[in-house]
Amino acid sequence: MGIKRGVSFYSYQQTQFFGKMFWKDMVLELHDNLKTDGIEIIDESTIPHYPFPPQEFIYDWNSYLARYDMKAVTKDVYLDVHQFRDHVMTHKEAAERLKYDIKLAADMGFQNIRCLCLVPIDVIEMCLETAEKYNVRIGKEIHAPLPISTVGKKQPTKGMAGALDIHMVDQIIDLAQRTGSKHVGLVPDFGIFQYRPSQVAIDYNKRHLNPQQIEEMEWLLENSINFEDGEDAAQDAYRAQFPNGTLNPMIVESMSLHKSSADPEDLRPIVPYILSMHGKFYQMTEIEGEPGHYEDKAINYADPIRILNEEGFQGYINSEYEGQRDQQDRGKEFLPDEVEEVRRHHEMLQRLFDATPNKGDL
Amino acid sequence: MFDSYLIKEDSLQNVVEDGKVAGFKFAVRIADYRGCYLSLHNGYYISVDDVEYPKEVQKFEINGKAPRDFEEIKKCVWEHWDYDDWGWVYVAKEGGLAPGKHHIGLQQSILAQYGYFPEHDEEWVKNPPIPGKGAGAGKSMFICYFDLDLQEGGK
Repeated sequence: MGIKRGVSFYSYQQTQFFGKMFWKDMVLELHDNLKTDGIEIIDESTIPHYPFPPQEFIYDWNSYLARYDMKAVTKDVYLDVHQFRDHVMTHKEAAERLKYDIKLAADMGFQNIRCLCLVPIDVIEMCLETAEKYNVRIGKEIHAPLPISTVGKKQPTKGMAGALDIHMVDQIIDLAQRTGSKHVGLVPDFGIFQYRPSQVAIDYNKRHLNPQQIEEMEWLLENSINFEDGEDAAQDAYRAQFPNGTLNPMIVESMSLHKSSADPEDLRPIVPYILSMHGKFYQMTEIEGEPGHYEDKAINYADPIRILNEEGFQGYINSEYEGQRDQQDRGKEFLPDEVEEVRRHHEMLQRLFDATPNKGDL
Repeated sequence: MFDSYLIKEDSLQNVVEDGKVAGFKFAVRIADYRGCYLSLHNGYYISVDDVEYPKEVQKFEINGKAPRDFEEIKKCVWEHWDYDDWGWVYVAKEGGLAPGKHHIGLQQSILAQYGYFPEHDEEWVKNPPIPGKGAGAGKSMFICYFDLDLQEGGK
C-alpha cells in the first residue's frame, strides 16, 4: 500500500487555459501515463457552470471515473467573502456556501473537501453535521507561511502572514477531539517545507522590477539568512536597510524565505488528522549525476516523506504544480510543459515513497 | 498570471451602435486559475496609447447576455464567469480607435479572496478598489502591455 500518488488538476491550469486538455484528458494522463488514480480538483475551474452544474456533467463525471477506476480524493472549495458586494459575508452565509460545496462534493464522489486557511473554525463547526450526513470530510489547508507546531513561534502581524492564525492546526485538532467527529482534519501543503524562493519566482521578479528594486531583492536573497524568524522581521530588516524602498511587501516576504515555516518532525503527531496533502512544487530539475531522477530545489520532500512513512501515513499526496504562473509573461516558446513537470514530480514521489518502509505495511 | 495571454490576439475592434462608431472592444480571459462569481469582477485598468479609460466607461459581455456595466455586474451574485470562457470588454469612446497598431495597458480587478481578510474586508464593500491602483488585482500583479492591430469589422 504505502503512500498514494494523486494529481490536483490545478497542475494543468495552463494547458486547460489554452484549450489543450480538459478534465477527461487529465483523467487519461493519470490513468495511462502516471499509472495512478488519485484526483483532486479546483471546483471553479473543472465544474462547468459552477455552482449549478448540469446533471449531465455529474453523470458524465461519475461514469468516466468509474470506467477508469479512479478515486475522487479531494475537491478544493473557496470562500469569496465579497460575493454579495453589499456586505461582507456573515459566518452563517459562509457556512451555507460550504455546506452546498459539501453536497456537490458528495454528488461527485469526493471523499474530502479542502477548505481554505482563512475559513473560521466556527464556520467549519456549523458544517460538521452536513459533512457527516454526506460522508465528506472537511480538511483545512495548512499553507505556507503557517507552522504545524507553534512552539517557539510568534504570531506575525503584517500582510497575509498576519491574517493567518499560527494556531490553526491546534484549532482543528481541538475541534475534532471536542466533537469526536471523524469528518474534520487537515490538508497540509508541501509549501510549508519550502526553504528558499523558487528560481522561477526570482526570474519573474527580475523581469519586472526596476534596477533599484532588483538590487533590493538581491540584498534580501543574500541577507535573509541572517534575519530573525518570522515575516515581520523580514519587513523590518528591509525597511531598515532601504528606508525609501519600493518593493511590494508580498515580494519582500517571498524573497526573504530562508527557512521552511514548518519543521518536518512536527508532522508526526498530526498524521492521524491528515486527509490528503498538496504536493506543491515549482520546477523539477534533474539531480546532478542521477539521470532520470528529479527534484524541486526549493522544497524539502525527502524528510517529510520519510517521516510520513515512519508514521504509517497511507493517504494521497496530490501534485500541485505552480511554477507555470511565473513564466506566463513571456512568449509561448518559453512556457513550461505542465504534463512533463507532473511526470517528473511523480518520479520523485514514488522514488521517495520506496526509499523507506511504510510502517502501515509492516 | 497569464500576463501575455489575457487579451485575445486579433480581437481588438471598433464597436458600431446606431450606425456610429461608439467605442472599441477586445476579448479577455480571467487572470486566475479559477473562475469567479461574476459579482466579484470589478472592472479594468485600461490605457490605450497612454490614454486611460476608467471603469465608468467600460462594459463586460459574458454568458450570452448583452454587455453590462460594472454597476450591473456587481449585482450578479449567483452568476459565474467560468474559467474556460472568453469575455468581451467594451469601452465607450466616440469615433473608436484609429486604424493601425495600439499600445494597450491592462490590469483586471477581481475581488476574489481566500476567506476573511479584516484589513480590507469592510473597506472593499464601502470603497471597492480602483483597478490599476494595486489592491484587488487578484493574481495579475502588474499592469500588462499589449501591442494590438485594430481589426476590420465593427466598421
